[in-house]
Amino acid sequence: MIEFKVETTSRGIGVVTPVGRLNMVSARRLGEVVTELVGAGTNRIVVDMAQTDFMDSSGLGALIAGLKTTRQAGGDLRLACPTEQIQTVLELTNLNKVLRPRPTVEGAFDA
Amino acid sequence: MPDDASVTRVSLEAAAREDSVDLLHTLVASLWEGSPDVAMIDRIRFETAVIEVMANIVEHAYAIDGEGVTGRRFDVSLLADPTSLVATFADDGRPCEIDLSTVSMPGYDAESGRGLALASAAVDDLAYHRDGVINHWSITCRRQP
Repeated sequence: MIEFKVETTSRGIGVVTPVGRLNMVSARRLGEVVTELVGAGTNRIVVDMAQTDFMDSSGLGALIAGLKTTRQAGGDLRLACPTEQIQTVLELTNLNKVLRPRPTVEGAFDA
Repeated sequence: MPDDASVTRVSLEAAAREDSVDLLHTLVASLWEGSPDVAMIDRIRFETAVIEVMANIVEHAYAIDGEGVTGRRFDVSLLADPTSLVATFADDGRPCEIDLSTVSMPGYDAESGRGLALASAAVDDLAYHRDGVINHWSITCRRQP
């Protein structure tokens, strides 16, 4: 019930867009997608959450794993465009301080 | 007590497997169809907790079974009335050994272990008890006035 769209921008930033629900079934695939991108040399990644209908704690775990993977490679992982459910989950877990969501994909790596 | 016309009840019996999560999302959606006036923030809090409790049942209550054991199931009932949203789960897996009164959010860099802490933070009450060989979970979310 989920699809991951992956593209790399002209600035060399990987954009991963989970379309559907990010849950215990699909979260591990997100980790694989991030690992594959970093392995191919893309260590700055934006996860565009605009089309992610729902995220559970497994999805959060996959984002934290992705954050570590990118930082270990000298890059970073940033969230963009969270829906209200995702914003709520980030706040309830206090991970909004770590996975600080950005309002746009294009500006996610500005400042 | 609310009259029956203002109460929506839906229920499901499903295999205690990861891929049953989509059935539960569909069940939650059917609850909102029956009670369309539930506020978005209450829907979010409730569904988030319901999915986390199901994940806990699938991942922990049956973890000892290992590969090859099939046929484990769980029951879930959801209710919406004018003041609250309630979910009750029953399963015959292993007892839950977590004390919900002391459950806490793990550190920022943890990649797992947030499920019940998130469920507890999302709703007004999360409770567990074991009756014989059955685990019972209940979730209560008081609706915004």
